[in-house]
Amino acid sequence: MSETVPTIKKPALRRDHSMFEAELSGAVLNVHLFVRILHWLKPYKLILALSGVLVLLSSACTVLMEVVISRVLVDYIITGSQSQDAPQVEMPDLYMIDLTRWLENWLEMEPIYAAGVLFFVLMIGSTIVGHWHRLTLVSAIVHGLRDLRQDLFAHLEARPSSFYDNVAVGRVMTRVTNDVESLYEMLRGMGSLVGEFVPFFVALGIMLSTSVEMTLVLLCLVPVVGGATYLFRQASRETFRLVRNTVSALNQNLQENLSGMQVVQLSGREKRNLEGYTRINKTNRRYEYRSINLSIFYGAFNDTLASIGLGIIIWYGAGEALQQEMSLGGVILFTRFMTMLFNPVVALGEQLNILFRAMASGERIFQALDWDEQIHEPETPAVLPERLKGHVEFRSVDFGYDAETQILKDVSVVVEPGKRLAIVGPTGSGKSTMIRLLGRFYDFDHGMIFVDGVDVQDVFSSEVRRRIGVVLQDFHIFSGTILDNIVLGNPAVTRERAIEAAKTVNAHAFILRQENGYDTELVERGANLSQGQRQLLAFARVLAADPEVLILDEATASIDTETEILIQDGLRKLMAGRTSIVIAHRLQTIQECDHVLVLHYGEVKEYGSHEELLAMKGLYSTLHELQFQDVSLDEDGYAS
Amino acid sequence: MGIDEIALQLQGGEGPHTVGAIALISMSCVVGRFLFVTYARRMIRRAGIAVAYDLRQAVYGAVQHQGSEFFSHIGVGDIMTRAIQDIALIQRLIANGSVHFIIIIYAPLFAITFMSWKSPALTMLILPVLPILFGYAWWISREMAATSKVVQERLSDLSAHVQENLSGIRTVQAMAQEENEIARFWQTNDAYGVAFYRQARVQSLMSAWMPLFAGIAQLVILVYGGKLVLDDEMSVGDLVFFLFCLNMLLQPIRMAGMFITLVQRAIVGSRRLGEILEAEPEIADTPTRKTPDIITGAFELRDLSFTYPGASEPSLKSLNLVIEHGESIGIVGRVGAGKSTLLKLFTRMVDTPKGVLYIDGSDVCDFPLMQLRSQVAQVLQDPFLFGEPLRNNISYDEPGRRIDQVWSSADAAALRGTIESFPAQMETVVGERGVTLSGGQKQRTTLARGLIREAPVLILDDCFSSVDTETEEHILGRLKTMRGDRTTILVSHRVSTLRHCDRIVVLNEGEIAEVGSHEALLRADRIYAELERVQTQSGDRSQLDDLSTDEGLSPA
Repeated sequence: MSETVPTIKKPALRRDHSMFEAELSGAVLNVHLFVRILHWLKPYKLILALSGVLVLLSSACTVLMEVVISRVLVDYIITGSQSQDAPQVEMPDLYMIDLTRWLENWLEMEPIYAAGVLFFVLMIGSTIVGHWHRLTLVSAIVHGLRDLRQDLFAHLEARPSSFYDNVAVGRVMTRVTNDVESLYEMLRGMGSLVGEFVPFFVALGIMLSTSVEMTLVLLCLVPVVGGATYLFRQASRETFRLVRNTVSALNQNLQENLSGMQVVQLSGREKRNLEGYTRINKTNRRYEYRSINLSIFYGAFNDTLASIGLGIIIWYGAGEALQQEMSLGGVILFTRFMTMLFNPVVALGEQLNILFRAMASGERIFQALDWDEQIHEPETPAVLPERLKGHVEFRSVDFGYDAETQILKDVSVVVEPGKRLAIVGPTGSGKSTMIRLLGRFYDFDHGMIFVDGVDVQDVFSSEVRRRIGVVLQDFHIFSGTILDNIVLGNPAVTRERAIEAAKTVNAHAFILRQENGYDTELVERGANLSQGQRQLLAFARVLAADPEVLILDEATASIDTETEILIQDGLRKLMAGRTSIVIAHRLQTIQECDHVLVLHYGEVKEYGSHEELLAMKGLYSTLHELQFQDVSLDEDGYAS
Repeated sequence: MGIDEIALQLQGGEGPHTVGAIALISMSCVVGRFLFVTYARRMIRRAGIAVAYDLRQAVYGAVQHQGSEFFSHIGVGDIMTRAIQDIALIQRLIANGSVHFIIIIYAPLFAITFMSWKSPALTMLILPVLPILFGYAWWISREMAATSKVVQERLSDLSAHVQENLSGIRTVQAMAQEENEIARFWQTNDAYGVAFYRQARVQSLMSAWMPLFAGIAQLVILVYGGKLVLDDEMSVGDLVFFLFCLNMLLQPIRMAGMFITLVQRAIVGSRRLGEILEAEPEIADTPTRKTPDIITGAFELRDLSFTYPGASEPSLKSLNLVIEHGESIGIVGRVGAGKSTLLKLFTRMVDTPKGVLYIDGSDVCDFPLMQLRSQVAQVLQDPFLFGEPLRNNISYDEPGRRIDQVWSSADAAALRGTIESFPAQMETVVGERGVTLSGGQKQRTTLARGLIREAPVLILDDCFSSVDTETEEHILGRLKTMRGDRTTILVSHRVSTLRHCDRIVVLNEGEIAEVGSHEALLRADRIYAELERVQTQSGDRSQLDDLSTDEGLSPA
């Protein structure tokens, strides 16, 4: 008999998400991506706009400070007072000289002090406004990305569990953490670039007004920069991909090594594993080296281009301007403008790597947001009664995870309110599938499942699960206190009720033995609790919620006999007076139930009470006899 | 850059000829700069990559020798965050920060030299600003360190939260806890946002104040220097030159904020890495030469007591036991009785004290760790499989084995049928990105992994719990013939398993309560006999043959 757990799913759900990395387009510039990111920044558009205005102001102050030094201080005050011949080419002073004159008169001070005051005011202005610009910008981005992360998380929460059958948690997780981080870097970088462009345009405007010809020659460099960027991106795409792949291989290797550390150590694999890791690490280093060769060449190329631009200005413009005798302050300002012109270009080059990384991240984030697997929810949901009677019916349910394999064949069974049903059958017979369908974890087309006469597919899946208590084999303990884990955010469960529930299922004693009793913090996955204790806690959790219908997948894990007795007792109390459907592995549990359903290859083979089925001398009694045979072996010579 | 000089020469009033020459000179400077800067940048960034490489190697090497004590302090997710994010912080400091550092050291040095040469008096004027600047830098960097630490911690929280939630997504959905979980995530998410914003504010303050101080220095020089020129005590040329030098001095100060951020974050990162790298290996590998090369499998426990570090109660109390070569020993006891601890002491998975456990007459601590663990094969309770083909998982300790050896151990673990049902057979990849195995299949795979080593001693820690009794009988039967006269120690809760052993050790609260054969212990009518009664009468522990299953809502 095969024990294979079906891993094949419905065709619609059948997607290997681990391959998704390879599907990323790696496009040179993905405009669509930016548009999508903007969606999350939209609520903060006013703050962003304010930030934009502030950066304009603060950059303007910075430009004016330069003007004050060159034109006001050097030309107007110092040189102006020494020589009287006006230069033929006049660089603009942006009204700074007039402002200084006005200040002189108003404050009745020497021109040099007036210029000092002006400079001081501009400096304070640029500092404060610049600070507020950064704060508003960061605030908008941080909040926008926080919302994006929240939406991403909520989206992941809504994927059906079938989706998670095929994905590695680690890979999904990094999309919520690392990938959103790279978006921040990019947005922040782009935001500060805006600040660089203000002086750029001021400088460009002034230069244009000085010499159109020269400006046009300079502008010819722009397509060169653009072309170089494109070529660089093309050339580096493959290398970047290899870097990304080796990085994720490194992380995966480390993670696996950490998770299986005991096995590694017991197998004496430390050295060999380190060698394997070293190989990946070396490959990664090789690609990293290759990628910096490219990006450094690109950066240097950009820098050089900027310097060539400067050369052109000096050669073409300054020479000309000097022939016409530009003022000393004008020359100083001119050189400052050159820096302003090329700063953003260089900065853009520096941002490029961040930009590319962010685009890859952005693609991964949006890809995750586009995962659309979901449980079909009704358009006009039916409402379950306030208090369920607990009548459950499976009516001719057929189901298969894919078209070829049918897991359930025409399964029909009725559980009357308050009755307990044990489902037994070999692995792969479809027991788990039955309760998965009842919990609305998968959609099904053939047959119906009713709870108190309402078709569960007409009820929101979350509603179904809220009303039905489920205890799974794999108890997930949420981090928080023991009490938190019993209450699980249910406002109806008070501390008293939680403790009462814990007492009923025999969990109270061990909880009190914990350091802080009910307020003991539990670590991830409940590592500080034993298997048995975790199971008792799971019982307490369900009992506190007091559902009318209980689904239980009995754990097969090895538990010592004493705890086992506590669990059996807790289980009995949990099922008391409650419609219960149990996938039973233990004989005693089966005996607790009113009816037993024997499932074999997806079909209901036998149904009845424990005694009836034994009397039938069918499948169930065979299984049961096997059990007793085992026991009688034990009793050889020691018959009680 | 040459611009300063060009401008200086320009104001000297020389003709356009010189300008042309200067442009040429500056072009060749550009080429030179291109070569030098490119080379230098490449070296520095290569250094960053090389350091990251070394750190990764070091972290990997360090964790290999750590035990459970270490991992209970720093979880897997945490180590991952450190190995990824914190190494990146250090790499960033080297790749970007070292350039800043050179500029911060060199530029002011040149600038101050030139400035003092031109006008010592004027240079003196900016000196008072410098201590203020340094004081501020010192203070703000402390703020920066504090906020960075919080950000890193919140980031760890965030990762842990997502990881934990997604690992338990089935429970979350089964309990209809999505809404609560989303609300809970909001708190973690928002806390990270708040921490991040705080850090950004400190950073922004730094970017505001540092240039402001610099600007004030500039202002003083401008006004005072301008006054000097007006009073004809200084030439215009000197003032302009001074201004250029000042820019050279102040530019790095404007950049200092960024540098401080890089340094502080790298410090936080290296501290976190230090916790991994500097942790002493829990188990000291200090072999003596006197131990035998081949272990035959005779054990002696001499008054063995063991207390976990930090625990108040000993887990094992004065155990005395002799296990003969070739014996099969069963160990039973309730949770917390010390069974797993005892087994871990055999292979030194916990730090076995000296002088309490002897193998073939030598102290277990005197054996080389590698030898001990290769000759005492232990199968753990938790069936961990690597995301690799089954073949690699089974032949994990020695990947070079012939395929028929792998098959024969799979046979011994009653795994052949299962493997043959997969299309890729032995090459079937298991785990998250491969075929999902049931709990029983996993246990049998790990069992095969232990059997294939044909070690003189085999230790099985409760690894039949998910295997049905019939299969277990089959495996135990084969094991008897396979193991021959080699020592086998196994832990089980099932009397049906234990009775196959030559002797059974009953542990109770860290002490040996009973030792003897199945029959002898039943006759003694104490704990073991009681256990046997409970299990046979209620059918409690024995699972329904063939009904045993591991198929839950979550594929195990």
